[in-house]
Amino acid sequence: MNDLHGIIFAYHSYRNLGELTRHRNTCSLPYGGRYRLIDFMLSSLVNAGVSDIGLIVHENYQSLLDHVGSGKDWDLSRKHGGLRILPPFSTAERSQREYRGNMDALVGVSSYLRNIRQEYVVLAWGHLAVNLPMADVLRYHLSTHSDITIVGTANRWGIPSECQYLQTDETGRVTDIAINPSTAPEGLESLEICILSKSLLLELVEDCAAHDVHSFSRGALLPRLNQLKVTTYRYDGYVGRFHSVKDYFRCSMDLLQDEVRADLFHDGAPVRTKDRNDPSTYYGPDSKCHNSLIADGCVIEGQVENSILFRGVVVEAGAKVSNCVLMQGTVVGKDACVSYAIADKNVRIGDHRILSGQESFPIAIPKNTAV
Amino acid sequence: MKKECVAMLLAGGQGSRLYALTSHVAKPAVPFGGKYRIIDFPLSNCVNSGIDTVGVLTQYRPLELNSYIGSGQPWDLDRADGGVHILPPYMREGDQGTWYKGTANAIYQNIGFLDMYNPEYVVILSGDHIYKMDYSLMVDHHKKVSAACTISVLEVTMEEAKRFGIMNVDADDIIFEFEEKPPQPKSNLASMGIYVFTWSKLREYLIADEADPTSSNDFGKNIIPNMLAAGEKMAAYRFQGYWKDVGTIDSLWDANMDMLAPRSSIDLYDPSWPIYARTPVTPPHVTGPDSKVSHCLVTGGCAVYGTVENSILFHSVTVEEGARVRYSILMPGATVKAGAVVEYSIIAENAVIEQNARVGTPPDGTDPDWGVAVVAGGVTVGEQAIVTAHAMVRDNVKGGDRV
Repeated sequence: MNDLHGIIFAYHSYRNLGELTRHRNTCSLPYGGRYRLIDFMLSSLVNAGVSDIGLIVHENYQSLLDHVGSGKDWDLSRKHGGLRILPPFSTAERSQREYRGNMDALVGVSSYLRNIRQEYVVLAWGHLAVNLPMADVLRYHLSTHSDITIVGTANRWGIPSECQYLQTDETGRVTDIAINPSTAPEGLESLEICILSKSLLLELVEDCAAHDVHSFSRGALLPRLNQLKVTTYRYDGYVGRFHSVKDYFRCSMDLLQDEVRADLFHDGAPVRTKDRNDPSTYYGPDSKCHNSLIADGCVIEGQVENSILFRGVVVEAGAKVSNCVLMQGTVVGKDACVSYAIADKNVRIGDHRILSGQESFPIAIPKNTAV
Repeated sequence: MKKECVAMLLAGGQGSRLYALTSHVAKPAVPFGGKYRIIDFPLSNCVNSGIDTVGVLTQYRPLELNSYIGSGQPWDLDRADGGVHILPPYMREGDQGTWYKGTANAIYQNIGFLDMYNPEYVVILSGDHIYKMDYSLMVDHHKKVSAACTISVLEVTMEEAKRFGIMNVDADDIIFEFEEKPPQPKSNLASMGIYVFTWSKLREYLIADEADPTSSNDFGKNIIPNMLAAGEKMAAYRFQGYWKDVGTIDSLWDANMDMLAPRSSIDLYDPSWPIYARTPVTPPHVTGPDSKVSHCLVTGGCAVYGTVENSILFHSVTVEEGARVRYSILMPGATVKAGAVVEYSIIAENAVIEQNARVGTPPDGTDPDWGVAVVAGGVTVGEQAIVTAHAMVRDNVKGGDRV
């Protein structure tokens, strides 16, 4: 599928993620034991045969750069095309201020957009946990002869005030878009992933630049729903949306359900990520472990239940971990007891410590701290 | 471009004593230690020792090994200058070419490859041992004593010495005599099959050996004795640490089980000497609500819903509810269905143990024929079938049958 080009918005951070996004933006939030959120969209595109992807970044993208590198782990390190990181381009008339909306971001990279080799472009956010059949979305877009196809779901995954909702007529054509309402209306929750032709994209970008319009949905789509044929592609599989620490905890625990894992990790559409060359996980003679998702490279000598362990986590003898998300390199000391906690990278929980949050209010322990 | 040191890894052997496990792959490609194949150990040792040019000599069933090594990227051996090269035997004008006749002949046939890099030293390695070793220290020793050949040796017990090639050395560890499997060993220094040669010397002896029609073109049988006889300086280099030959079913099982005692064997978690591997993309492994997992290695893509103890699970292994796996090695993609029991066994890639089947039995100390049971790759053992200890299952077993 070399007719599709990917543009991923990777500059946004939700403020309610607090400590978790202090050193990174939402796209590089670790999730699911070995992934960063960006891996899901990158993999959805790569698995659909997309070979050229632009990643629009702005601030706080060091950890993202470190993660994606040359794009090699997604087979995106190519002589022609492949992965391109698109940082803000500062000129005399455009100072390096924050993007006011995703159209603003597209205007910022318009010279890159003009050089796209493919006929169609998919615009997507990089902070959803979803394994989307993107090839199918393009096929649908072509078969319906739409100008724009937006992916929506009948489920309710996000907080209404952070989401958009699509109203459609009986043919599936979008008649209205509710943007960040206080309560969720009828219709489909938009995943804000859309496919359109390169030429239409350039037209919209030019027009929006000329009129200082900075939101794609509000500024470019909403006023044109009468002129353009905008349709929806419905995807009802699992989507993780991360607006707050609580969401993050809930979406992590969702992974302990077989159906959720079946939606996110299935044969033929692997979620690729940065290779770390870890050995297998070692369970000691007195270890106990059930109902958990455990990445490679862990050393578990204590007990683990209902938890997500990232690569290289150590649970020392006698320690008990339950209902936790322990990111890469976390060490839980001897006889320590941790529950309902999210430990960011390289946290050290001392021997005999007892730490306990609540399901409705998990404790988030910042990166590199010793408790 | 000239290199100081090039490694040649002999990976053409069939490994016939691994029986069904090597019916489709060469021995160096046999899975080991949860995430690896045997060849990852010498390859990673090369990279960690600063050797960036490695020739891998293949012959028997090379397909899987070739695709596994690929560009060499997982080992950082995809280099513009040097890197890893697969070296199969090839046709030539005139003599038409031959298969590799022996270990020495394999190197002889690749003199052209070595001349391309014109190294000072060549390290000869084999693809059937599990160990961590800094070859650069051995090369340093070789230079320091100005040897023509340096042979890495391991101190074994006098009883074990009868099964090895034994080096008899003087006070400076210079070899004066080599004995293959001596009934009355004079020393306990066993050859590990790791050699450093000064390339110009080895080149001479390879050419002379090839001209001798009676030679079996083997390092241990011909090149080493010939060099000794000619009075070349041959040094022994004492190695200390974990080293295991994995050429038989029992030793392969043993060495895998050693990985469950990381403090006394090889520490795979030591960041200063990583063992690299090419690994498929798999999600983290999952343990089910009623699973029990203890004293194991478990790898990405596994789903454990039953009980697993003292075992090695490679990637994408499934152990269903109520199934029990003990003291066993489950290679990539193996499935143990509900209620099945697998003990003291090696289950090869993508084999399926159906519901309530039983594979292997614990040793009871009375049966002299007891051994580890092996189920070959892709084989299905039917419902309620029984595979007895020491069985070597190459074909599907029907439900209820006993083999």
